[in-house]
Amino acid sequence: MEFIDEIRPILGKYVITKKEDLIPYMNDASYFTGEMPQAVLLPGSTQDVQNIMRIAYKYDVPVVVKGGGSSLTGSSILKTEGVVMSMLRMNHILDLNLNDKCVTAEPGVRLDDLERFLEKYDHFYPPDPASSRAATVGGSISTNAGGLRGVAYGVTKDWVLGLEVVLADGTLVKFGNKTLKRSLGYDMTALMIGSEGTLGVITKAYLKIWPKPERTARILAFLRTIDDAGRAIAEIKEHIIPEMAEFMDKISLDSVPDAIKYPQGTNYALLLDASGSKETVQRRKEDIETILKKYAIETRSTMDETEMNRIYQARKGLYASILKLREKEGEYIVIGDIVVPVSELPSALKEIEIARDQDGIRAALFGHIGDGNIHANIFADLSDSQSMERVNKFMMDMAMISVRHGGSVSAEHGIGIEKKKLLVEEMRFNDNMRTLELMKSVKKIFDPKNILNRGNIFD
Amino acid sequence: MTKLQDLIAEAGKCVNCGFCESVCPTLPAAGFLSTKGARGRVDIAKFFYKDDSIDPSASFYSCVDCYACLTVCPAGVNAGKVSEIGRMILAKQGKAPEIAKMIVELTMRYKNPLGVREKCAQWARGIEFDAPETLLYTGNMYQLMAYLRKFGKLRKFFGQYEVQLASFIRKHPSSVSIFHDLYDKAMMDKMNGYLINIVKLLKQNGIKFGYLGSEEPYPGTFIYDLGFEDEFRDYARYVSELFRSKGVKRIITVDPHTYELLKYIYPRYTEFNFEVVYYMDLIGTHKISGKYAVHTPCHFSRYFDFSEYVGRMFDVNVEENPTRCCGGPDELLFPEISENISEKRFNELSKTGLPIVTACPICYANLAKDDSVTDISSILLADGERVSSASVH
Repeated sequence: MEFIDEIRPILGKYVITKKEDLIPYMNDASYFTGEMPQAVLLPGSTQDVQNIMRIAYKYDVPVVVKGGGSSLTGSSILKTEGVVMSMLRMNHILDLNLNDKCVTAEPGVRLDDLERFLEKYDHFYPPDPASSRAATVGGSISTNAGGLRGVAYGVTKDWVLGLEVVLADGTLVKFGNKTLKRSLGYDMTALMIGSEGTLGVITKAYLKIWPKPERTARILAFLRTIDDAGRAIAEIKEHIIPEMAEFMDKISLDSVPDAIKYPQGTNYALLLDASGSKETVQRRKEDIETILKKYAIETRSTMDETEMNRIYQARKGLYASILKLREKEGEYIVIGDIVVPVSELPSALKEIEIARDQDGIRAALFGHIGDGNIHANIFADLSDSQSMERVNKFMMDMAMISVRHGGSVSAEHGIGIEKKKLLVEEMRFNDNMRTLELMKSVKKIFDPKNILNRGNIFD
Repeated sequence: MTKLQDLIAEAGKCVNCGFCESVCPTLPAAGFLSTKGARGRVDIAKFFYKDDSIDPSASFYSCVDCYACLTVCPAGVNAGKVSEIGRMILAKQGKAPEIAKMIVELTMRYKNPLGVREKCAQWARGIEFDAPETLLYTGNMYQLMAYLRKFGKLRKFFGQYEVQLASFIRKHPSSVSIFHDLYDKAMMDKMNGYLINIVKLLKQNGIKFGYLGSEEPYPGTFIYDLGFEDEFRDYARYVSELFRSKGVKRIITVDPHTYELLKYIYPRYTEFNFEVVYYMDLIGTHKISGKYAVHTPCHFSRYFDFSEYVGRMFDVNVEENPTRCCGGPDELLFPEISENISEKRFNELSKTGLPIVTACPICYANLAKDDSVTDISSILLADGERVSSASVH
């Protein structure tokens, strides 16, 4: 293959072509399996990335960019023949400026590593997808990842100041910079966020950071109904914005019995964080608990770091831990991800529960109640076409419930290959097909040969 | 269940979230090649049980068995266990690496991977032993480190011809005698010194014990770790029978690998009715004066909380993750990965500016990149002498 022959002298041992070594790159964290790459390339610098793209462009070789491989929609696997470019070697934190409140990082830095680094300076980077242990800076920007702190801090797009990007033909461009403000025509940085590796390859990111709250209290409340949970959150948010506001149903709780034990009668649990200075956190915690007690069977709170971490990690690991509850070997997890306006969440969730039962699906429901984001961990037998038909029907039902409630078919996982059809349905429902055409036009301008993540988001 | 079914069961619990990969020491050490990371190994396993035409040996054999993956997996998947089972399948199929086969065959024949039991017993010259029912069992582990260091250099020398070298030794096992004087003398002196420290510590605490001298066999760690289960079963029977014939009731181990193997693995393969203890359990611990950077051996993290020992004795430790590997387990088959891991871990520990303490001969051999590194027995002995001298005055 001429392409590989030309790349090899540049990347040396970081060109992988042995079959055994290619296998792991056929998967990400979704249930999809991609094509086996013709090669896996591991660049170590922006220059390497430029060289790869220049040569790939020359030979029309499709390239899929992969970070931590934590995509849940199949966005980081090959849909056609081509190569995978893994960014994990580009994992350096390049600069920190506390005065500018900006950290500069390469795309392969894992979010938890970034968190540990910033912690030394009493700062943090707020976006914290549940996959933060594996997810990278580049990958999380590419999917506009959200996370548990979304209720207070928003999502990735709110924290990216600028990007260095290599385009499909190898050209290096810079979008934005380290400044908090800029008014420079179209916001090209924003365009890159959520583009899932279809427009360019991120090689450097300027990220906004924030001082870490002095203290945090973690509060658990156990409730009988989702209405109670919705009312409690609405009342809390009238007075306080919690730093985290999560809900979990009983199946979710059953998958983490060591971390969270629930009282009888529980159907849902809320998990909230109150943060602030040493002086304010206690008062905020008490204010939240006072409201929760009106609706909950029981509330608990802790400020013990170990205990807080145990609960936090249990919530973050739900996607994987739920598999412990599978009823037969071979069952896998398909994860749903929709968003509705916060006020619509209880009614949307009730409709989803009904659809789940009608579709004959077993699924755990959980998510970010503070920002209206609902996840469904669906048990699916991938080898059983009838089972998958039911799963796909339920995914479509969830999607339509979200759009009927004024929401969206994807909150924080992106489109990938999983939601291509749902994206079209949302656009159609909102009589908004022109937007989809505009997106396709943008793709053509950025990547006229369609070599970047071909077949992702749309065909 | 067959080994293949075991593999399917363990790997089948995985949703591929990638958490394990973020803590796996071999992934960055192997240049971020996924096959040599925890998640990649599970992916390979899932593929392997559908298509055994692929060769997963580099993937499974490069795992250092630190089980860091297990500490972060929300689904309780043990990617280390996946590799362990994978190695067992490959060994049974005759697909283990040539060097692994050589080491196993030599160990089965000489009860020591390099046939140097005599040399391994020399540290004990002049020491009086008693009470054979309580056995001090070094397993040759400290002593062998001096040989493995030289062996690594020899392998580098042979480079691409190492497979031929291993094949030659397999065909001519007596040729292993070329290794008998190939050891790092400075390392041997250090290691012998640490064993003498342990003897002193035990005697100071009134413990009476015996020692098998040149009859002492290697515990079979390599045989098990390299996946040779049938051979390990035979070997464990031999060791067990030897101990029984010597009237042994209680075994004092001095390193985490032997402790784990004898206490938890042997009973799964043979009748092994001996009390197995770790020497630090017998010597009483007190707060050590001074500050040290303590490196916890992975094999202690698995079965008991070594940090409890550390916390009881040391004012400081620098463990962010209690299962950071020293790189040692890859030294035999993947020296480059091993070196990268040990370099990284040494730098982490060194950055503290404190003396570094290890509690395992393999950790010591891999992390002793300068004089700041010492075995825990030295610290315990020196501090014990300080305390007793202070009480006399």
